[in-house]
Amino acid sequence: MLQVEDLHAGYGTSEVLTGTALTVKQGTLVALIGANGAGKTTTMRAISGGLKPSRGRVVLDGQEVQGLDASRIARLGLAHAPEGRKVFGPLSVEDNLLLGAYGRLPRFFGFRAKAQADLDRVYELFPHLRDRARQAAGTLSGGEQQMLAIGRALMARPKVMLLDEPSMGLAPVIVQEVFRIIRRLKEEGITLLLVEQFAKSALEVADYAYVMERGRIAVEGTPAELSRNERVIAAYLG
Amino acid sequence: MDPSIIGQMAVSGALMGLVYALIAYGFQLTYATSKSINFGQGELVMVSAFFSLTLTNLGLPYWLMVPGGLLFGALMGLVVERAGVRLALEQKGEGWILLTIIIGLFFFSAAENIWGRDDRPFPTPISADPIHVLGVDVTRLELSVAVGVFAIMGLVELFKRRTLLGKAFEAVSADRDAAELMGISATRTVMLSYGLSGSVAALAGILVSPITTVGPTMASALILKAFAVAVVAGLDSGFGVVLIGMFLGALESLASFYLGSGWREAPGLVLLILALALRPTGVFGKATIRKV
Repeated sequence: MLQVEDLHAGYGTSEVLTGTALTVKQGTLVALIGANGAGKTTTMRAISGGLKPSRGRVVLDGQEVQGLDASRIARLGLAHAPEGRKVFGPLSVEDNLLLGAYGRLPRFFGFRAKAQADLDRVYELFPHLRDRARQAAGTLSGGEQQMLAIGRALMARPKVMLLDEPSMGLAPVIVQEVFRIIRRLKEEGITLLLVEQFAKSALEVADYAYVMERGRIAVEGTPAELSRNERVIAAYLG
Repeated sequence: MDPSIIGQMAVSGALMGLVYALIAYGFQLTYATSKSINFGQGELVMVSAFFSLTLTNLGLPYWLMVPGGLLFGALMGLVVERAGVRLALEQKGEGWILLTIIIGLFFFSAAENIWGRDDRPFPTPISADPIHVLGVDVTRLELSVAVGVFAIMGLVELFKRRTLLGKAFEAVSADRDAAELMGISATRTVMLSYGLSGSVAALAGILVSPITTVGPTMASALILKAFAVAVVAGLDSGFGVVLIGMFLGALESLASFYLGSGWREAPGLVLLILALALRPTGVFGKATIRKV
């Protein structure tokens, strides 16, 4: 569903990604782990178009998307819940969710009716958000904002969803809640690429995982394989 | 000092001040999406007024001329965005400041060549006879300014709150990169904001011209006041510019009546200087004033 080949990207003259390659098959959850600064978030940004790759290919559902605008890639079926959540603070929770479905809703009138089924689904998944539907997203707690960011990405009915550090800065009990949601998404058959600092938790939910080091994939395998890899254990699971 | 005269002057001035508010509102629209403004906005007001005058002279009735003028303003706004703003923003530079000034100068020269240097009257079917409202005399013409300003600002605000495209506009204002991830094209949203801003400028020209006149230099005083209003009110509160605009208009009118007409321009400048002295890093300051 999502295939990345020989991806090079960076900021200015410094190249962060030096040939990243990964594959996310339909209906699977793939985890991308690695130390801070290894290039995980940069990989996500280069896939979703926030950063233009200088070399390499990104294939989404059979179509090459590298170099396209982020908005274009999003409309082709890639939803990216970015690091730091990036909810639209001044807008209401419900408006945030509606904008998640922007690509397939009418621009002027009748968009709410058309999105109602998706809204109900997200509210069922995150009952808190229904209670706060009219509240400005910026006033939510960190955990609620993360739920909103995931819900917003779901609204797009994406072919592939990228989740970047969904547990960042959250209390342990909320982190558990986040992973419960991720499991639920996986059960619903959503294709997911997850970047996580909690390597252990990520490997518990993932079908396949990549370990990044210095801008490229150092090790890859099923969680069972990686859990036996001494290098991985020493660096990330110890 | 007769209180009824003070009231009269204040109300008349405040109604004129709404024109400053409207132009400042045009700054807010583009600043919200792109953190840039058109420094040639005054010239945009002026060419749109001239174009509307031409439509009138061609025999178009007022109610058809207005949408024609707004459309022209929107087109000119798009021209400014394409020629003066987009490339500079793509390079994350401040080049738009100079470029929009240059486009304004170009509009100015074009207007002088096409329509001449003289100030001309702007015919309108709206009567200039005073009517008595709440103890003061106002003309229908002055009231039409208020109606026009509140109508277009109301419509734009309604658009932003009630339509998905409007919410997308707000999303780009809040976080451009995140909006892109939703499938919202930031480039198109910036275009939209320049188009809207152009229409708003055109309406300001259409509303004020019958009261002042139309001429190549008509906007130079207006734009200075609009800047003052934008600096004092900040670049994100539509309510703020209306309030400050009316306040400044009233102040000017009183200054010109009691101190002499030479003092008309003083309050705007004093307000501007005070705002810069007391709030040097105001909302406006960060992106522009420090770097200009």
